[in-house]
Amino acid sequence: MHRSLAPVHAIGHGALRSVAAVGRAGYLGMDAVRALRKVKLWGPHLLSQMTRVGVESVPIALFIATFTGVVLALQASYTFTGAMPLYFVGTLVGKTMILELGPVLTGLALSGRVGANIAAELGTMRVTEQIDALEALAYDPVAYLVVPRVLAGAIMFPMVVVLANALGILAGWGTSLALLDMSSPEFLKGLRLFFEPWDVQFSVIKSISFGVTVTAVGCAFGFHTSGGAAGVGRATTQAVVISSMIILVLDAFWAATLLQ
Amino acid sequence: MEGRKELLVGTVIVFAIAVAVVGTLWLQGTNFGNPTTQVDVLLESVGQLSEGNPVTYRGVGIGQVSSIDVEPGGQVVRVGLLIRRSVELPADAGVVLGPESLFGDWQAEIVSRESFPRFDFFDVPIGSSADVIGGYALPEITRLTASAEQISDNLADLTERMELAFNQETANNLATAIANIEAITQEVRTLVQQQGVIASNITSNADSALTEIELAASAARRSFERVDGVLAAAEIDSLIVDLHAAASGIRNLADDLSDDSTGVSATLTRADSAFVRVDRLAARLESGEGSLGRLLTDTTFAVRAESMLLSLDMLLQDVRENPRRYVRLSIF
Amino acid sequence: MSIELVNVHKSFGEKKVLRGFSLVIENGQTMSIIGASGSGKSVTLKHVIGLLRPDVGEVWVDGENVARLDQASVYRVRRKVGFVFQFAALFDSMTIAENVGMGLERMETFSEAEIRDRVESCLQRVDLGGYGNRMPSELSGGQRKRVGLARAIATEPDYILYDEPTTGLDPITKAVIDELIMRMADDLGVTGVVITHDMESAFRISDRIAMLHEGKNRVEGTPSEIRANEDPVVKAFIEGRPELLETA
Repeated sequence: MHRSLAPVHAIGHGALRSVAAVGRAGYLGMDAVRALRKVKLWGPHLLSQMTRVGVESVPIALFIATFTGVVLALQASYTFTGAMPLYFVGTLVGKTMILELGPVLTGLALSGRVGANIAAELGTMRVTEQIDALEALAYDPVAYLVVPRVLAGAIMFPMVVVLANALGILAGWGTSLALLDMSSPEFLKGLRLFFEPWDVQFSVIKSISFGVTVTAVGCAFGFHTSGGAAGVGRATTQAVVISSMIILVLDAFWAATLLQ
Repeated sequence: MEGRKELLVGTVIVFAIAVAVVGTLWLQGTNFGNPTTQVDVLLESVGQLSEGNPVTYRGVGIGQVSSIDVEPGGQVVRVGLLIRRSVELPADAGVVLGPESLFGDWQAEIVSRESFPRFDFFDVPIGSSADVIGGYALPEITRLTASAEQISDNLADLTERMELAFNQETANNLATAIANIEAITQEVRTLVQQQGVIASNITSNADSALTEIELAASAARRSFERVDGVLAAAEIDSLIVDLHAAASGIRNLADDLSDDSTGVSATLTRADSAFVRVDRLAARLESGEGSLGRLLTDTTFAVRAESMLLSLDMLLQDVRENPRRYVRLSIF
Repeated sequence: MSIELVNVHKSFGEKKVLRGFSLVIENGQTMSIIGASGSGKSVTLKHVIGLLRPDVGEVWVDGENVARLDQASVYRVRRKVGFVFQFAALFDSMTIAENVGMGLERMETFSEAEIRDRVESCLQRVDLGGYGNRMPSELSGGQRKRVGLARAIATEPDYILYDEPTTGLDPITKAVIDELIMRMADDLGVTGVVITHDMESAFRISDRIAMLHEGKNRVEGTPSEIRANEDPVVKAFIEGRPELLETA
């Protein structure tokens, strides 16, 4: 091949690989939907996956939310000083936390924690033939491995995000009282001023989609790992990068479609 | 092990759902356990009031607006207020609806009618139950601008007359028009002062603006009062000085308003440039270019005055059609 | 009641691994498939349980063409087949007993107590009685292979497929595994397919031996027939003499 064609070749190669990856993910998704019927296979594992994906993610999500809330309050007061009544700090903390930072920061953090974990686990199972062994023992590996993880993500992510939202707002509130010469009624006035119950529903819808994304991408990359330990490492990195990107795109998508 | 996991997962789910539900209700302002009572308010219109707005009594939040419905027949609006049962309302209670802050949220304030004799509270039909109160919605900014529109109409009238020959009848008409401006200004001023009692924080600027209007109007009045004399003695100089003062007064007003809220400034700038033209015209007269006679026959003056009024009209129309743009600042 | 591969072709991208491989394994026989590393032996084995599907050709197990079956029927066929993986492929999050019991659990016909008893008897069969509560990481490579074998026989399959059962083991453990494979055939009447490039053990345990070379069945026969074969490719492989290939 002529050297000048190398970049073209690389682009073609990359494009074909991407399409193949999307196709594989699509097949896996279809298999997963079909595998939902096999409750006997995934049912017993749902609980432990919910523990792993959800319960064990609560501390990191709350840690992030706390500091986000503090920073939001401080930045809001810095921005508003002189220009607007200080109670808008409450509005900004509440709105931003529930609509955006609660779900997105939790999603990104968990794509590192949960997505990487799943990709590494399934990737190792793939390269050590454990997934083949499942098949050989007549277990549908999609029903056995993928479904409980994705379901656990869909169920537990919103829970974690709701808790993170709440703690973030509490942290912003505490900061307003402690560092910003504000009173509780002031903060609450701002918090309630533009509050809509839809905000919470939006946050939950968003986090369900993030939960599915993080776990499904982790499963897809883990499931299609090849090439030993290095392959597992690659799958893990890709799972985190891709799911983070999808989270941000989905974030924009939901904002464009649901916040009218 | 399995049992422990179940407990943990269950705890997280139950806790999260509880936080979501209770938090939502709490942020919506639902009272948990506090006994509340329903009070209905009847009035002709509710302005910008919406469900969930606060109800205050003597400045204290005591509940919220729970419902707004037009009564059968379409003549009356019934507003439901959910207020703390422990609050004792005055015997001659009335409800004033008005803006809570510059940012457009309204509130329902329970007052004693005695303190607001000027307000036209709705007369509750005799025989209604005790917890139905008459209400009054403060004029919105659209109402205030309607008065200003009248001023503008009068000015338009004036210009039209100026295009024709100046005679005694015209002078009389002018005098009447100016008297109208004054009367309207006074009316608006009283109204604003009344509102000031309700929400003093937002009206101080508007108040000073009205002082400006008043000053401008009286300067204009002085100008036109001399029209009589002008016709006889051609006291052009003093007329021009006063016209000048009138124009700058209006410009000050415009400046004041544009400081208040960025949303208004664009339209005001348009109006302002019209005022500048008047000002420039005055300066031209001052420098001795032409005489009053020429001024009166000069069609360009008429055209310019028209365009100024057109700008003013556009402003007023805009305010009337999009009151929210001027009332509610868009923050999010 | 047999395994039959007919003209199986399989490519991975550009790479043609199987190019018309055919083989018949009669009931009750132990068949060894020998061949160089990367010649497609594991690929052949994975075709038998439908982990891979041929591009062209047929794979008959017990009178059913696995290559054409739908997913549910493939799982049904798999229950008749035990698969012993090269590196055991034990589920490392489970205990040994749970690993061995996986297949039984899937059948949904046994009570917990029955599963416990059968797991223990399978472990005893591979001389690992009492190891049930350990984790795979606590076992040596040879022990893990034996657990893999125990897991494969737990469901009493009609067929057992062994993927390089003795590779990388010390001679003693190797002999133990060979012994086990023969015991399976003799005691349980299992049909076995063994993939190996260990000629010593192939000659010891097999009823028949086939050699996979360049995607095709190069030669097939009893151990003594293979030993006597004059084909330089076969001779080079079984005697470990690459120089023979050059003359061929």
